[in-house]
Amino acid sequence: MKKVININFQGSVVPIEETSYELLKQYVESLRNYFADEEGRDEIINDIESRISELFQERLKNGSTCITDDDVNVIFKNIGRPQDFEEADGGEKSAKDEKHNQSNDQSEKFQFTRFGEKGKRLYRDDNHKILGGVCSGIAAYLGIDPVIVRVIFIISGIGFLAYILLWIFVPGSNVLVNGVRKRLYRNPDNKIIGGVCSGMGSYFNVNAWIPRVFFLIPFISFFFRWGHIGPLTFPNFLSFSFSPGTLIIYIILWLVIPEASTTSEKLEMKGEKVDLNSIKNSVVEEMKGVQERMNKVGMQVGSIARERSTDMGKEVTYAAKRTSGAIGNIIVILFKIFAYTILGCIALSLIVALFALGVVSIGLFPLKNFVLNEGWQSVLAWGTLIFFIGVPVVGIITFIIRRIARIKTHKRIIRYSFLGLWFLGIICFISLLISVGQDFRRTSSANEERIALENAGVQSLEVNSLSNTRYNRANTWFRLEPFATFDDDTAYIGNVRIRIEKSPVDSFQVSVIKMCNGNTRRNADTLASLINYSVFQKDSLLMMDKAIAINTNDKFRNQSVIVIIYVPVGKHIKINKNLDYNRNIRVHGPLFNDENWYNWEDDDYDFQYGIEYVMHENGLYTLSGIPANDYNRNNDWRSQQDNRRDNYNADQDTENYRYDQHNKVDSLRMIKEKEIQKIQSSVDSLRELKEKQIMKMKDSLRDAKEKLEQKIEKLDHNNTPGEAYNRNGKQDYSFVMHI
Amino acid sequence: MNIDNTASQMRKGVLEFCILSIIKLGEAYPSDIIDKMKAANLNILEGTLYPLLTRLKNAEFLTYRWVESNSGPPRKYFSLTEKGADFYQELEATWLELANAVDAITGKKN
Repeated sequence: MKKVININFQGSVVPIEETSYELLKQYVESLRNYFADEEGRDEIINDIESRISELFQERLKNGSTCITDDDVNVIFKNIGRPQDFEEADGGEKSAKDEKHNQSNDQSEKFQFTRFGEKGKRLYRDDNHKILGGVCSGIAAYLGIDPVIVRVIFIISGIGFLAYILLWIFVPGSNVLVNGVRKRLYRNPDNKIIGGVCSGMGSYFNVNAWIPRVFFLIPFISFFFRWGHIGPLTFPNFLSFSFSPGTLIIYIILWLVIPEASTTSEKLEMKGEKVDLNSIKNSVVEEMKGVQERMNKVGMQVGSIARERSTDMGKEVTYAAKRTSGAIGNIIVILFKIFAYTILGCIALSLIVALFALGVVSIGLFPLKNFVLNEGWQSVLAWGTLIFFIGVPVVGIITFIIRRIARIKTHKRIIRYSFLGLWFLGIICFISLLISVGQDFRRTSSANEERIALENAGVQSLEVNSLSNTRYNRANTWFRLEPFATFDDDTAYIGNVRIRIEKSPVDSFQVSVIKMCNGNTRRNADTLASLINYSVFQKDSLLMMDKAIAINTNDKFRNQSVIVIIYVPVGKHIKINKNLDYNRNIRVHGPLFNDENWYNWEDDDYDFQYGIEYVMHENGLYTLSGIPANDYNRNNDWRSQQDNRRDNYNADQDTENYRYDQHNKVDSLRMIKEKEIQKIQSSVDSLRELKEKQIMKMKDSLRDAKEKLEQKIEKLDHNNTPGEAYNRNGKQDYSFVMHI
Repeated sequence: MNIDNTASQMRKGVLEFCILSIIKLGEAYPSDIIDKMKAANLNILEGTLYPLLTRLKNAEFLTYRWVESNSGPPRKYFSLTEKGADFYQELEATWLELANAVDAITGKKN
């Protein structure tokens, strides 16, 4: 008992059994796949369909009540199935690769060039496979032995991931009996977002929730771990524990995988008819096959290696006799490899650059609140991140995967929308720059603010850092944040400068200049007055912040502070090393030129951290009497390095540092060392001179010796015995030697 | 080398020539072409004929017109264009040359 349905086929009504209808549909679909690369595909299929329709009509006229499976099968046999076409066309490829053809005719399907070079396409080779047939498919595509590809895959560590990806995206070569080949589709019937997960589920014959959970795990951990993840823990971003990773993968899959909209596509999605038994059978068979094939491959590798080596020997001898054509081919192939390598490198670097940009901007994103205003600027920042950086990344990856897998859906709309979104991103980016630029346009007026000192008359002043906050976090290996450090609502910027000047009176004076940028002078001034920066004296210590704290309300607008310490003549000043924190971050651009812009670079540092100075009538001097400026200039590379190392130690141990008196000794020792070096170098040069002279002497002596020996030889030859001469020569010789 | 491959390659080479010569005799419907070729013992699948015809048509060697049919949808009847006729001439010349050469070599003709 079978159900009969009426279909409208090529303009006429055909009563057909339901099963036959499915067969017909699959047949047409298999033709569509087969002729996928053909220019007039639709026309060919239309022609064939009308021919089928005609045959149906004939059958019905002859008295059949409906079209049955038998009828359909006979018709298909007459017209031919894709496999039959391939056999009929089989001759084409034989010229290409004789050896392969001999081994197995059927296996050549995937490599088979449909109607010329145009249709060559990468398939997985289901007939020669070990796991998924990826390697043998690639080998057939390139016309080399699969073992080579396999070895390359195994040797290169990334092989595994690449293999899985290719397994998924490259269609198998096996045209099943019904012309159904298993493919990855998105499943629209069981979707939550895009149907990617449920499509994967049906592809791998598992519940759709398994892939879903894989996608969700990182999301869940993302929410739980957000507080702990530094914004720039780069490896985390890639290791999927950071949700954008999987999100991006999901979007790419969504774009790359076609949706199963027709019934036959849905059948293809599942690989075959939904029949529990057949699924089970195929899985069992697959597993059995894998084991067998694994065994076989061992033997295969051995024999291939043997064959190859003997072949190689023959090849070499023949190669010499070969015509220039072969060499030409080799050159062409080499050139192709070269060209592709270069293209690949360019593409790879582009992608890496984009990725880096994406990672950096995602990493810097938490800083957004410290720079940008809520409202438009935030929106623009998001727009920049998503459209200007995210879209090309997703687009390029999608493009590459589609290229590799040769997925042809010809959806122009996708391309245009990508382009459109990216332009939107560019607009966002530019307007963001302009908008932010506006906010930095004006500089505040530089007003000097006198700080009242507790005891201005001290003999010496030591300047020390106020807070013990460790500004440099050590846990990020990939440090990029421009600010010293930041947490949710406070960021520290190290825009603090210290200047030492001579005091007009006989007591210390300290004043602070706070500077800031803003969209108007008035706003800049307001913001500058909001800078919270504290300086105070405590006995002989002057405590001051080494960074400016800004919060999300005030925003970062080039806040900077200059502390001027006026030192009276004859008094001592020392700036501790814990203040040596040089992390200035100031934005300056053509858009916000301002006459009040204070150029840090002009501000010459006339002191060093950690060294005690004394103010003289004509400037700052070290305790050993060297002018501070000279001292700095004469400092050579080595002492700077020493300094830096000292700095590091000082940072490690800030609290104790105050009581450390090593610095004086240090400076003295350095001067001494220099003197010693000078003497040493003069001694060295003297020694060198001496050595040179000795060498010269030796050389001239050797020359003389050779000349004499030559003479002796001549004499030996020319003059018979001539002992007197000889002795004479020897005497000369020994005489010379004794000089 | 595989005998099937060599044979099918030989056949493929002359397939277009045979199709064109059948159409040259008068307008032809694809299944007529198949029948005629079958009668001459040259088997070809309809599935391979349609793409060939479409390709020849796209190369402007063939043209077609629709003819109403009482059994099913309208049929496509193919005929040769002027360009197609020229192409056929060239093919024919080549074929004769080739046939002579092959005969001479294989010793069929003295």
